[in-house]
Amino acid sequence: MTRSFFNSLQSEWLKTKRSLATWIVLVGAFFTPVIIIVVRIIYHDTLATSYASPTFWATLWRNAWESIAIFLLPMGSILTTSLIAQLEYKNNTWKQLHTLPLSLATIFFSKLAIIVFMLVQFFVLFNVGIYLAALVPYLVVAGVPYPTAPIPSDLFVRETLLFFLDTLPIVGLQYLLSLHYKNFLVSIGTGVILWIAALGSLKWKFGFAVPYTYPIFNYLKSLPDNKIAAPLVSVHVMAVIYFVVFVGVGFWLFVSKREKG
Amino acid sequence: MLTLETQNLTHRFTPHDIAVNNVNLRVEHGSIYGFLGPNGAGKTTTLRLVLGLLRKQEGSIRVFGDLFEQSRLEVLRNVGSLIESPSLYGHLTARENLVVLQKVYRCAPGRVDEVLALVGLPHTGRKRVSQFSLGMKQRLAIAVALLPQPALLILDEPTNGLDPNGIIEIRELLKHLNQEWNTTILISSHLLAEIERLVTHVGIINKGTIMFQGTLDALRSKQQQSLQVVLDTSNPDLSQQLLHQQNIAATQHDGKLILPSLPKEHLAAINQQLVHHDIKVFEIGIVKNDLESIFIDLVK
Repeated sequence: MTRSFFNSLQSEWLKTKRSLATWIVLVGAFFTPVIIIVVRIIYHDTLATSYASPTFWATLWRNAWESIAIFLLPMGSILTTSLIAQLEYKNNTWKQLHTLPLSLATIFFSKLAIIVFMLVQFFVLFNVGIYLAALVPYLVVAGVPYPTAPIPSDLFVRETLLFFLDTLPIVGLQYLLSLHYKNFLVSIGTGVILWIAALGSLKWKFGFAVPYTYPIFNYLKSLPDNKIAAPLVSVHVMAVIYFVVFVGVGFWLFVSKREKG
Repeated sequence: MLTLETQNLTHRFTPHDIAVNNVNLRVEHGSIYGFLGPNGAGKTTTLRLVLGLLRKQEGSIRVFGDLFEQSRLEVLRNVGSLIESPSLYGHLTARENLVVLQKVYRCAPGRVDEVLALVGLPHTGRKRVSQFSLGMKQRLAIAVALLPQPALLILDEPTNGLDPNGIIEIRELLKHLNQEWNTTILISSHLLAEIERLVTHVGIINKGTIMFQGTLDALRSKQQQSLQVVLDTSNPDLSQQLLHQQNIAATQHDGKLILPSLPKEHLAAINQQLVHHDIKVFEIGIVKNDLESIFIDLVK
């Protein structure tokens, strides 16, 4: 089981080569950092002051996450998960995959593991992007000092981990939908509707029940005067519970399919 | 010894739509079994059941002597397959497609180049499979099926999309695999002529039911039995009457008489008798039913 799972992981990873999902991860991770770099280079007059500020890294962190947490991370997760699962439908390869000497659990969980790994890859690259967003203006613009404040690595790691947990329900539900429905629009459409529902339910006291709200809640919680309804329970715990439920239901639907490919 | 055996395999897509009805396939070890039938006869459904792509409803499937559902992984490790259209990742190259599967089958990396050479695709380089012609995709799909050096190869209409040269090449390749490696091959087709020169055994299915199963020789002897004699005379009614007096079952068709195959001497005697009764004999000929017409008769 362990060896065949490892082999299946290698196989699934090879399938992502040159895929649109891989490009979404790369472009998504560096999109906001590049915008920040460009803006800073254009409006370089105030850089010397901000780079000397003790809150430099916290401000940069918040700026970088703004569009990511609210828009790019949920939409990127919806698209990437759906695209990876849909690779088999698009290429008519489910039947080939199901005639390989792999158990259904290996097929299901190795594909899911690759999606989760791509999510981790996104977070790592995004953190690198944030660091580059600080470094490049310092290297390019004359007179800008290297930030005097130390990098709050514990904040970066903790918050990245929380955003990772908060994104898991999106991955879980999108994976379930993408494996179950051949039509790509079902999973993407449902994902977009749930994301819109998440935006609309932020002020609702039971908004935490919508599983796509968690990255947004996690970002907005740190902002003063955020006007969101404080979740009644920990959204991170809710995220993990939703993920486990979605994966469990997804696996049950996957193994119960009458036609496999 | 049987490599593949099904017993009373039955499958319904809806309660009133029996796609496969009590099919008892018997594919002997080392044989090339041609699975024939018109479109929609139940060939692909049977093959999908055999490979576990459809959940079995009734009957049993044994591969290499083991029940499929009990030894699925062990069985699939030794089976190569191509079902319907090629299953390939369009964004990858031919080599990458095979490496994806080589990892799972755990075969030697050199096997990838071997099978690419076998199917005549050794130099496709960095060209992505989405840019391949249908024939190239079909060849690559066959390479995929050959990758694990399977003891049983299941091919569903593998020559679809191939030009005549490609069909001959694949036929020779399959013969070679069968002779050199003793690979058992189950190949489906809707054209008997296409696989007649390849197979050792034949199964003919129509409307979900097996109409014939046996060796190609058994099918040929059926062909011999179905030979008929056509007799064109100036008076078919009187001729028919004379033949009936000799207990020869003759029927009229388009003014000609059709009678079962008879020895040459017997035909000569009939000719003499007809002439003796002032009946002019214009033609005595043999109607040769080829294997294709036997096949068509069986599936009618």
